[in-house]
Amino acid sequence: MKLNSLWPASGKVRAGLIIVIFFVLLAVFGPMITDYAPRATGNPPLQPPSADHWLGTTQTGQDVFSQFVHGARVSLAVGFIAGVLSQIVSVLVGLVGGYFRGIADEMLYILTAVFLVIPAMPLLIVLTGYLPTRGMISVAIVITITSWAPAARVLRAQTLSLRNRDFVEAARATGESRMRIMFYEVMPNALPVIASGFLFSTIAAILAEAGLSFLGLGSLTTVSWGSMLYFAQNNQALLVGAWWWFVPPGLAIAIIGAGLALINFGIDEYANPRLRTGKSRRKAARPAGRGSAAMSSTAASAAAGAEASSSSSGVSEGSLGGTESTETTDDDASPPQIRGSEVPGDPVISVRDLIVDYPTEDGAVRAVDHVSITLHRGELLGLAGESGSGKSTLTNAITRLLRNPAEVSGGEITYHRSTRTGESTEVDLLNLPAEELRAFRWSELAIVFQSAMNALNPVLRVSAQFDDVLRVHRPGMSAAGRKELAQEMLHKVGIDPERVTAYPHELSGGMKQRVAIAIALVLEPDVIIMDEPTTALDLLVQREVLEQVMQLREEYGFAIIFTTHDLSLLLEISDTIAVMQTGTLVEYGPATDVYSDPRHPYTKTLLSSLANLGARI
Amino acid sequence: MTTVPTTDAQNGPAAGAGEVILEARDLVKDFRGKRVGLHRQRFRAVDHVSLQLRRGQVTALVGQSGSGKSTVGRLLAQLMPQTSGELLLNGQPITAHRGRAFIRYTSTVQMTLQDPFASLNPVHRISYILARALSIHGHAKGAEEIEEKSLALLRKVNLTPPERYLRRFPHELSGGERQRISFARALAAEPQVLLADEPVSMLDVTIRKEILDLLDQLRTEENLAVLYITHDLGSARAYSEETLVMYRGEVVERGSSADVIDNPQHEYTQRLLAAAPNPRRRLSNPGEEFRG
Repeated sequence: MKLNSLWPASGKVRAGLIIVIFFVLLAVFGPMITDYAPRATGNPPLQPPSADHWLGTTQTGQDVFSQFVHGARVSLAVGFIAGVLSQIVSVLVGLVGGYFRGIADEMLYILTAVFLVIPAMPLLIVLTGYLPTRGMISVAIVITITSWAPAARVLRAQTLSLRNRDFVEAARATGESRMRIMFYEVMPNALPVIASGFLFSTIAAILAEAGLSFLGLGSLTTVSWGSMLYFAQNNQALLVGAWWWFVPPGLAIAIIGAGLALINFGIDEYANPRLRTGKSRRKAARPAGRGSAAMSSTAASAAAGAEASSSSSGVSEGSLGGTESTETTDDDASPPQIRGSEVPGDPVISVRDLIVDYPTEDGAVRAVDHVSITLHRGELLGLAGESGSGKSTLTNAITRLLRNPAEVSGGEITYHRSTRTGESTEVDLLNLPAEELRAFRWSELAIVFQSAMNALNPVLRVSAQFDDVLRVHRPGMSAAGRKELAQEMLHKVGIDPERVTAYPHELSGGMKQRVAIAIALVLEPDVIIMDEPTTALDLLVQREVLEQVMQLREEYGFAIIFTTHDLSLLLEISDTIAVMQTGTLVEYGPATDVYSDPRHPYTKTLLSSLANLGARI
Repeated sequence: MTTVPTTDAQNGPAAGAGEVILEARDLVKDFRGKRVGLHRQRFRAVDHVSLQLRRGQVTALVGQSGSGKSTVGRLLAQLMPQTSGELLLNGQPITAHRGRAFIRYTSTVQMTLQDPFASLNPVHRISYILARALSIHGHAKGAEEIEEKSLALLRKVNLTPPERYLRRFPHELSGGERQRISFARALAAEPQVLLADEPVSMLDVTIRKEILDLLDQLRTEENLAVLYITHDLGSARAYSEETLVMYRGEVVERGSSADVIDNPQHEYTQRLLAAAPNPRRRLSNPGEEFRG
């Protein structure tokens, strides 16, 4: 690793490092550049700073600068030693307790809790009172005793969560010993916590040492920042206005504390390999073969996609027409296979030449590349694609849920709002103001997410989750009316209406997904976006939920965009299929046609993979 | 349109095949459940499961979530103690949950986990992960030999060129590549039994076939007894000789994979097969939309 890459990127961390390095250098070299011994008297008393005495003198004529730099040694050393010791104790207590559980954990946890509730300062004072000697090390040990507990508790919690991670199980299955797992698998992952614990216990130790010395409990024969403050206070430095006596140590304690706290911001940058290797990884080439092949075919199909969609943009509204690009620039790239769809009904959402980019340091990554699709009223559009194909980015663009830094770089998304008179007005979704967007979402377009377990708020009853939607969109509705509607919707999705008072954890996975569908339906939207709604469900439950969705679609007539990676499922249920690959729409047409006559090589690959895996295609 | 390819060629017996390496007899696993009054309810996750893993053969354990199939895998790996029943390794009863006995057991029986994104420690490079597995089982000593063997392992799981992968961190690899690393780690022990817990369920469809082909290749080349734990009956049919269907902790159906899946006897297996997505269903009644 080059020195260059060790220098932190963040300004805060740089400032913190500079501060700490400055004080460390001061403590190491300071005593060498001063001509006076820290406790030597004989200089003129209470002199303000001058060329001879950079920080003036004390009442007994001691040089303040000399005391300050010698004091820095003691304060930093006590802080560092106590920081290291208390981290060692808390790592042992936290890791052992958290990893082994059982009786050892209970004992250690009680011990931690006891030390947490004892006020640190009084304990410190009592312990110091019994110290036989008051040297640096013994003070550091006493400070350790009073300060290890909070970090130990945090580490125990961290270990409890880490020990259940798969990589720990995998290490056990490999045959690693417990000690090895604790210190080589679990502990490195807790390093950010340990490092920040170290920084904060160092700060606490510097403060505690200063506090003890200030109270006169430290070693009054060694000079530290705390003892400087003690003598300044005892000699009424404040009253006589000898600011040079007490300001330097006081300020130094504050600044070094701030410096250590600032470094804390940068710990992740070093402890997390994902962040550490971020820069070098982007420079290094991806493994050859599949990666580079995918790259070139992406570029080529992107070009082909651009052609196809530019020629299709001339086609009249509402239908994509039988646009087929016959020209390609590259032999490897296959042109997108866009077939005319014969879905009856008016369009409800049309996407034209949509481009979504994720800007990165090396230029934009095109997640959606000139995609044009049209969703008709009552249509079930199946959107298939593997991870990284851009299908979620596409649906997020339609729902305007794109997260930073994704940005729409081109194209348009139109919603065709039907009015009472049967005409339709066009709404430009990409430029919808926030207020109208809020009204549009849910009342006209609703979303069912992949994992209902996460989409439902675990601390709210089902009824309250309906209320969330209804309060915003039906402000006039009474509480009783809302409850009645919620029960009616639950009944519609095949759940006992009495379960309206249940919490999400009291429902099974399939029921939760039904509740999510019921909430999506409550305002009778024209369009429901279903983002992998059945992927997390078991086969039998998936089948039930699908049947429910199909029934409801017949009853309400909403259109669905159904995303999934399971092409065979889409082939069975959807009217139209859109297949995406690396941001490009590679095949688009009626499901039966795509099934009986897949034209794009990627669609064929997907189908043959499914067949090889034993799916009934 | 297309039909399920016959896999007889893939399933041809390897040398010395058929010999039982790991056998489970009447495995039972109870978990502690909710406390009701003074009595603590027990939850039986695995209910008298017996199975045999044979050299050079893939046995599929199929079930939905909560069926207890992963618990069976963990019991076979001795990662948790069984409530009752016994395990026989090469015909000898064996109990080894900790210490040297457990390490010796893991040198024969290795397990890979479902989630390729979670099963590799994010703070370690691939070189460390493989080196540990090699040195635990004493198959390589010294930096040079370890590197040489690590490269050989990477080649075995078709990660080429292997030099590219050694210095990488797990997050720099794709899901399929990580799953291959998991296999390489398991192979470092030179095991006789490989327990693969849902090796492809988190991967894209096009990658799944590659990984399952790799599993099949390893079974032949290393003459491994493989337990393929999955929720997918289709891939069990394509990649295993014997299939066991689990439901609520019990094995409800077992037999040769072709028999179980083409001619299911148990009502649960039949329901599972009927629920699988099947585009042919709508072709059989054209014009008819899916109604379930």
